Amino acid sequence: MNTNLKTSVIGSYPVSVNTTDLMNSYFDQHDISWNKYIDEAVHDMITAGITCISDGQTRDPFIQIFTRKLKGCRIRDRTEIIDKIAYENPITIDDQRYVKTFLPKGKELIGVLTGPYTLTKSCVDQFYHNEQELAFDFASALKTEAQQLEHIVNFISIDEPFFSNKYPEYAHELIKTITKDISCPTRLHVCGDVSSIVPELLDMPVDILTHEFKASPHLFNAFKEHDCKKKICLGSVRSDDARIETVEEIVNHIQKGLRIFGENIVQVSPDCGQRLLPREIAFQKLQNLVMARRRIDE
Amino acid sequence: MFSFTKEQQTLEISGIHIGGQPGRNPTTLIGGLFFKGAPDYDFAEQHLQTMMHLSKKTGNPAIPDFFIKKEEYLQDIITFIETSLPRTQPFCVDIIDSSIKIKTLELLHQKNLLDRTIYNSIHIGITPQERLALQQHTPAAAIIVAFNPKDRSVDGKIEVLENGAHLTDQGLLQIAHSLGIKKTLIDTAALAPGENSGAAIAAIPVIKEEYGLPTGCAIHNVVEKSKWLQQFPTAKKSVDASSNASIPLFGGDFAIFGPIEHAENVFPIIAWYDILISEYTENYFGVNPSDSHPRRKLFQ
Repeated sequence: MNTNLKTSVIGSYPVSVNTTDLMNSYFDQHDISWNKYIDEAVHDMITAGITCISDGQTRDPFIQIFTRKLKGCRIRDRTEIIDKIAYENPITIDDQRYVKTFLPKGKELIGVLTGPYTLTKSCVDQFYHNEQELAFDFASALKTEAQQLEHIVNFISIDEPFFSNKYPEYAHELIKTITKDISCPTRLHVCGDVSSIVPELLDMPVDILTHEFKASPHLFNAFKEHDCKKKICLGSVRSDDARIETVEEIVNHIQKGLRIFGENIVQVSPDCGQRLLPREIAFQKLQNLVMARRRIDE
Repeated sequence: MFSFTKEQQTLEISGIHIGGQPGRNPTTLIGGLFFKGAPDYDFAEQHLQTMMHLSKKTGNPAIPDFFIKKEEYLQDIITFIETSLPRTQPFCVDIIDSSIKIKTLELLHQKNLLDRTIYNSIHIGITPQERLALQQHTPAAAIIVAFNPKDRSVDGKIEVLENGAHLTDQGLLQIAHSLGIKKTLIDTAALAPGENSGAAIAAIPVIKEEYGLPTGCAIHNVVEKSKWLQQFPTAKKSVDASSNASIPLFGGDFAIFGPIEHAENVFPIIAWYDILISEYTENYFGVNPSDSHPRRKLFQ
């Protein structure tokens, strides 16, 4: 029994953007609001019964959300770094404030940041020619965003999928640049196969780790070998597969996690952001996740 | 004035040449026929004649832009185009509603008018049905509107041309190419005052340097929407007409200058700037003005 176990998302959620509407706003010279797409994503999460909710990251893929607003970035097919990275204006703050206006009581809001290493590896560097320097400048910019988010959200989640491809020796210091002195809890999401970097992840300066335990069940064994004192958000439905896991299947998966991590499991979630799934599939997966979570207490 | 390092494409659309290095071809002027309610064809004919006369006098090519808002007027407008325009005169069909766009393409095909048609426009709102219609009834040319609702900067305009800003499955240039449209003009999407409207002008040299395609915009829309200018009622008309001069001055190739009745103010202004630009680009870059260039009219 773990009554503190919460359901969560990782970040992104699929919505269908009406480009005809957007063009009509252009032709009529009306202001363009993105709120309806945020509404759709958040409404689905709430309706599914999820406790920890994001803004859905509906505006852009998770790289461009940040690079579009950071100084030094030029948006092309891949973002190009053409100058020193600097924070100019709030990036996700307005959307988070907007969600907060209609978030039901008892729900928690996640501030989602794309990690500095992932931003670094996703851009074409034409300025620094030094990966580490670029990564730390991204981290400093994200820190400024985090310092505003901490007053709005319940916790901040940092997405660093590229850690599973290559784990830089400065990773701990990089994440610490963001999380140091942040007053709200922090979470680090690394999808992919992290079995070779479990000790490093357990040492990360964050409160919660989240990984794709559903797509990579061998991670259970990888973590079992270590003394895990970190809180865990257990990836429990796949984000890269449209098959909808049954409630029973998810219950079994969570129970397996509970046997290994005990009460350190504080959240269950999809393995990753759901942006690439069809909306109805993403919704059904969240619903089944919530139902499975309820069964755990029965 | 400047010259582009990227090779510039000059498109020939039914006898009109658009594009190239600054100073080579005169700015093409696209005048709108917007009808309130049922089209007034006497009005249209009168202003078309005036615009064509101005074109002949200045050397700036003129293209009428027929705004088709309702399906009930479609047949009549196309018949007017067929019967009233000179037989080789290119024209734009300017339509917002996707279903009317499709019907218009079918009708233009039936009337054998597609080889003179400039489709206004392809943008992020293109539907699968519209794509199919464009493949079946491909116009001579299309204007691509580089409007990016996520990013109104110059980079945002490049992004939507390159990859659709993740709002379409491909970049708008690739979409036009895949539909078989061989001649594309880029409209840099002028926005309301205060909405980064200057980016539409700044984007002209950037897009020409990046792609070498004929580029322009409807910068007059910014003036039309300006509340600030309302305090200068006598100046508004001249600001509106002269705003188009920023297009050739920034290396652009065409101006969608608004209502056709503005032609009398716009043509002399643009011809004047084309002459000045040509003087400089010929002296400095060795760009010879084309045979029909306004500067050659000056020598006569």
